[in-house]
Amino acid sequence: MSGASAPGAGVVRRSVPRARLTDLAALRAFVAAACAEVGAPPAVGEALVLAADEVCSNIVLHGYGAGEPGPITIEVDRAADGACVTIADEGRAFDPADARAPDLTAPWDAREAGGLGWHLVRQVVDELRYERRSGVNLITLVKRAP
Amino acid sequence: MKITIDQRAHVTVVAVAGSIDALTADTLVHAMGEQMHAGNTRLVAAFEGVEYTSSAGLRVLLATLKEARQRGGDLRLAAVQERVLRVLDLSGFTSILKCYPDVGAAVASFPSHHA
Repeated sequence: MSGASAPGAGVVRRSVPRARLTDLAALRAFVAAACAEVGAPPAVGEALVLAADEVCSNIVLHGYGAGEPGPITIEVDRAADGACVTIADEGRAFDPADARAPDLTAPWDAREAGGLGWHLVRQVVDELRYERRSGVNLITLVKRAP
Repeated sequence: MKITIDQRAHVTVVAVAGSIDALTADTLVHAMGEQMHAGNTRLVAAFEGVEYTSSAGLRVLLATLKEARQRGGDLRLAAVQERVLRVLDLSGFTSILKCYPDVGAAVASFPSHHA
């Protein structure tokens, strides 16, 4: 972990040059602390911690792939009544709109674990946006106070 | 993450403490798999010490639940914290997985005459 800084007024940023699963706990702690720092209530922080964890886990496991860790940069900013988290990576392009939706009503023996991560992200945030800009994936997560 | 195994008469209690994420989930998968391969398929996951889970924890629970039931047993949850319960609820897991307020109730839910 490296590079905690405040690049602009109110924005808190953390970059990991070669992100691995072992960085997840520190990234969650960073998002929780940054959400508090920008004045978001605890429920907003809790939701964004989970959403950011799911996004970063996907980047490490699928965006970059085993043995080729790459950079992840997280920015946390104040949003109206809540907070906004932006996550940038240089891995394979993936639009979460293409993630298949899990069937939450299927009987236990027909349930599949695939798609639960993005499903959770959608459930806990108010906005999920994706953009691919010159080789960089940008995920934006917005959560407003309940 | 810390995992403690407690063999009761006819039920195996797997107590988990810490956070379950894409890194630590593997440890839990391994622990659950070890129990089932040893023939212990009546499992209680004691979650009092679990303060956080991502979808990685859901994957472990689903895989364990499926294997335990296919082997004639079951996986039941005990003492799930509110934050973790919200994740289970949002994922439709509370309809396929039985949750009990404490370990004693979860253990007692397995009939003792069960072969």
